[in-house]
Amino acid sequence: MALPKALQNRDFRSTRVGMISERIIVVLLGLCALITVLITIGIIYMLVTQSAGFFRSDFVSLRGFLTDKEWTALQSQDLAKAQFGILPLLSGTLRVTLIAMLIALPLGLITAIYLSEFASSKIRSWLKPTLEVIAGVPTVVLGYFAILVISPSLQWASGGAFSTFNATSAGIAVGILCLPMVCSLSEDAMRAVPRSLREGAYGLGCTPFETSVKVVVPAALSGIVSAFLLAFSRAIGETMVVALAAGTLPTLTADPTRQAQTMTGFIVEMIKSESEYGTVQYFSLYAVAVSLFLITFAMTLLGQIVRRRFQESYQ
Amino acid sequence: MVTVSTANTDNGEQNAQPDRTLIQIDDFNAWYGDFQALHGLSLQIPRYKVTAFIGPSGCGKSTLLKWINRMNDIIPGAHAKGELKICGEAETPPGRDTNILDPALDVVRLRRKIGIVFQKPNPFPKSIYDNVAFGPRLHMKTTKAELDELVEWSLRKAAVWEEVKDRLHGPALGLSGGQQQRLCIARAIAVGPEVLLMDEPCSALDPASTLAIEDLIFELRSQYTIVIVTHNMQQASRCSDKTAFFFEGRLIESGDTERIFTKPEQKQTDDYVRGKFG
Amino acid sequence: MSTLPKALSEQDADFQQSNASRRQRMSVWFYGLCVAIALISVVVLVVLLVSIWVQGQSRLTADLLMNSHSELDIERSGMWPAIIGSLFVCGVCALVALPLGVGTAVFLEEFKPKAKPLRWLHGFVQLNIANLAGVPSIVYGLLGLTVFVYMFNIFGQIKVNESSGWELMGANHKYQVLSLETGNVVFVPQTDPDQRQITIDQPVQGMDAAGDPIEIEVWQPGTPKPTDPAVRRRTVRSGAIGATVTEKSWYYFRLPLDKSFLAGGLTLALVILPIIIIASQESLRGVSPSLREASMGLGATTWQTVRDVSLPAALPGIMTGSILAMGRAIGEAAPILVVLGAAVAKNAGPQNLMDNAVTMPVLIYNWAGRQQDEFKELAAAAIIVLLVILLLLNSAAIIIRHKVQQSQS
Repeated sequence: MALPKALQNRDFRSTRVGMISERIIVVLLGLCALITVLITIGIIYMLVTQSAGFFRSDFVSLRGFLTDKEWTALQSQDLAKAQFGILPLLSGTLRVTLIAMLIALPLGLITAIYLSEFASSKIRSWLKPTLEVIAGVPTVVLGYFAILVISPSLQWASGGAFSTFNATSAGIAVGILCLPMVCSLSEDAMRAVPRSLREGAYGLGCTPFETSVKVVVPAALSGIVSAFLLAFSRAIGETMVVALAAGTLPTLTADPTRQAQTMTGFIVEMIKSESEYGTVQYFSLYAVAVSLFLITFAMTLLGQIVRRRFQESYQ
Repeated sequence: MVTVSTANTDNGEQNAQPDRTLIQIDDFNAWYGDFQALHGLSLQIPRYKVTAFIGPSGCGKSTLLKWINRMNDIIPGAHAKGELKICGEAETPPGRDTNILDPALDVVRLRRKIGIVFQKPNPFPKSIYDNVAFGPRLHMKTTKAELDELVEWSLRKAAVWEEVKDRLHGPALGLSGGQQQRLCIARAIAVGPEVLLMDEPCSALDPASTLAIEDLIFELRSQYTIVIVTHNMQQASRCSDKTAFFFEGRLIESGDTERIFTKPEQKQTDDYVRGKFG
Repeated sequence: MSTLPKALSEQDADFQQSNASRRQRMSVWFYGLCVAIALISVVVLVVLLVSIWVQGQSRLTADLLMNSHSELDIERSGMWPAIIGSLFVCGVCALVALPLGVGTAVFLEEFKPKAKPLRWLHGFVQLNIANLAGVPSIVYGLLGLTVFVYMFNIFGQIKVNESSGWELMGANHKYQVLSLETGNVVFVPQTDPDQRQITIDQPVQGMDAAGDPIEIEVWQPGTPKPTDPAVRRRTVRSGAIGATVTEKSWYYFRLPLDKSFLAGGLTLALVILPIIIIASQESLRGVSPSLREASMGLGATTWQTVRDVSLPAALPGIMTGSILAMGRAIGEAAPILVVLGAAVAKNAGPQNLMDNAVTMPVLIYNWAGRQQDEFKELAAAAIIVLLVILLLLNSAAIIIRHKVQQSQS
């Protein structure tokens, strides 16, 4: 069998061209990755420089920002009388988030247990897409749902105790939004628990309930906790639902039936009011954004750490 | 003009000639991170012979094999010291010695010269033709006709042409395991290498396919220097000329296959080839 | 020591019986609870879809798809500019985010460094991406507002009739002057970009509305006006004031970007970039390492391996992830609201690169927050349109996933 012509010629491509283009491509791809770092730097630089414009103003002090019980950046025309205390916005955010978590965490976790431990493949093939569809619903749609259905239902059920815009209806909608996320992340964590652990528990005579609650859930705890943290951070940063359904009045209270302007809700209202660039009101946007960013960043970071540090590895 | 390399024409005589070392290994040490996988081993791999590396799992034989064409480059933390070179005068055409461990070495050229076949058949999810043409397309400028010829030649060499000639453009993953492995061999020889490294090429195959591959290896040694890592003692004795026995990162013994299997000098080798452990 | 421990030998049979049945009951109850709670999500979805359908179906008309928003003619308001606007904004977003995201994923998965400090850096970039995925989208909105819309004000602030930033291309400035013929104007080319208006007191070279060059005559008040309409059309009163008008080509570009669809799309790209990176990375990780080895063993460089082996194998996963990310982008309202503002009065899509745009979610937000029932119904109808678009996108993703699963089995 004669050697083919191509191999007789031994006309090989120069490897130098390949090496140079390889270098260029590595640099280009590296630049792509660098952009992600630049985004983080950009966020931090923006928050620091722009909120400096807020705290430098004569009408604001850091202490007042952290302790004042009123936030009237939008309401007062006269800057001297405006109050810049973040607490009412924070309280609004916390009310909405807590209600959302009260819904999303138990429902999400139990649905995840059901999906990973009990559901037949037929039910899974229905339930999973349902959750995916809910996860894909734009948040503005859930906000609309809150004012269209949830809020009137609450008013009807409570005999009018709830105001039209209230923390509870927004919280319920945010909870619906976080539910698929809690569910799918927890389910992933539980599916990673090896079969042998379950078999061990059943072998000792555990009921399905005891197996899932006493063996599987503790084994998957790090994943579940990180899912909770991520959901929490998602709920804090949620914007459109609260902008539509939580009202526009910043209130420092624990009453879930009243209006509750959240941090994100304030940002939207401020943008809608089209304040002039460079005013104290405008810069107050960034002061609120700093608080928002710090809280969510801490949550995500904690979630990452929990997942990496406390991950039980089964090999 | 075209120079036809003498290596690939007549070969019966070459096997009768005395061994000429193609790959020279001296005091070679290799590490994965802090773990030393190979300790100061020295070995000559002769040209146009089949050299088998045998030994229990984790003895370092695959590590050495993958160093020969620097596949370990892609493993983070893998590094090596010592001498590992291609003897230039044994090459066709003769050239200078190539230090394989040289960090500035052009690994693309090295791997073109030293092909590798892996444990599990790993054809690309492309057509049979595209699998074989993958290497040539990377390395050579060919016309369509030349490429067709080259693909056919490689597939014939790998003894799989008759089975696939009617479905060259069908998916490679549709072939049986043994056919896939022969396709992988065809893919490796299509770039015209001088050395073929085979990392347990039959361990994922059924006995019939294994025999076919062993026959193929026996055929191919007339034109290629072959290094094969194997767990299978019969395989080593059936199809190799030289055998090197590794144990716990050290080279215990090497020599003619027949001698290693009949009159081993070391007790460990004796125990292993008799199946007392491993 | 062959006797049984007390706990094992002295077990009360009754207790064991009741304990076992109690635990069994507990388990059954728990199973029931699971089913009931899992059903809740189905019920919520059904209620959501049904209530929006009931609210909006009466407004699903041709008007909705073809008209624009109108305060006066609410009955015939529509979302056409928003559909086009979403298309433009998401188009920009896809053009930016897809190459960047896939490029980053390839870099992180395929070009893993071996040296220790670089490995540390690699881990840092990875952690950074995970954190970016957790940043609320409204913070990205503010980033877009600061970086794209205002660009930290280093190019000056864009103000109507005062400053238009740094115009780089596509702008043609000229002064517009009223001629003697009523309703007719002539134009004088603008040379000094800072001079916003001129006074004409002597004849100058100019052009008419069609852009043809003409000699502009000056009429001194007090002297008889010319009577020929053709002359009147190119004659202006002495002392007439001309103000700048700008003719913008489609490629009109300036810095800062101001509230343009370009700024909106770039901001949206920031939001979905981490999602695309993470999905692409997962997909690349799923490619069997043996394929990479095979390619490298044949002497392919890392990039050749990526181009010819890893990327084709990972492509279906990357596409599915990208489509889902685009679905997120289409439905995302908060960052767009921050960057482009909440105004929705617009009757066409963007005319040039710097033109404003309205997107569907912003329009829905605007309509949903209004008092009039008509707008609430319109919002529901617009939601139906948006959901249908998302449904189509998601079906595309599911079909791709399904096809791949079939071809792999």
